Amino acid sequence: METEAVQQEFKAPGIEPSIFHTASTCIAAALVPGLGHAVMKKWDRALVFFASITLMFFIGVGLQGRVFGPDFADLFSTLKFIADAGAGLLYWVARLRGMGAGEPTTYTYDFGNVFIYVAGLLNMLVVVDAFDIARGRKS
Amino acid sequence: MTNHFTMMIVFSLLVSLVFTFIAKTGAKERAQYFLYLFGSFTLISIVAGWLMYPFPF
Repeated sequence: METEAVQQEFKAPGIEPSIFHTASTCIAAALVPGLGHAVMKKWDRALVFFASITLMFFIGVGLQGRVFGPDFADLFSTLKFIADAGAGLLYWVARLRGMGAGEPTTYTYDFGNVFIYVAGLLNMLVVVDAFDIARGRKS
Repeated sequence: MTNHFTMMIVFSLLVSLVFTFIAKTGAKERAQYFLYLFGSFTLISIVAGWLMYPFPF
C-alpha cells in the first residue's frame, strides 16, 4: 500500500522527480543508447535509439572507420575522441575488443569515421532528451 | 554498401529516425517529420554534390 502511495505521489503532476532518478536515467542513457528511455518505459524511443545508434556505430566500424582513443595532443584529436566516446559502452567494447583500428587507405575510411562520430553525437542528444523527460520538461 | 549513394541514404535514414523520435510524438507527426527530414537530407546532398562537381579536388 505504502509503495503504491509513493509511486502515485511520484507520478503526480507538479512534483519534481528526484535528483537520483534523473541522474540514474542519464547515466543509463549515456552508457547504452536507449537505456535511459527504457528505464522510463518509453519503449518506442528506446528501441529506435538503441537500434539506430548501435547500427550506425557498427556500420562505421565495418566501413573501416577508426575508433579514436583518448588522445589530447591537439584540439581535433580531443574532439574526435569526445564524439566517438559519446556512444558509451559501444565505444569501450569496440576499443577493448580491438575493433575500429581504421584503414585510411580504403575509400570508405572517412565515411566510417563520420558514422562513428555521428553515432556518439546522437547518443549525446539522446541523453539530453532522457534528461528532459526525467525532469518532466517533455513527455 | 560501399557505394557512396547507398551510404548516404543509410546515414540519412538512421539520423532522420533518431531526430524524429527526439523531436516528435504521435505516429502521424513522426511520419511526416521523418519524410521531411529524410527527403531534405537526400535532396540537399544530391544538390551539394552537383554544385561541387566542377571543383578540381
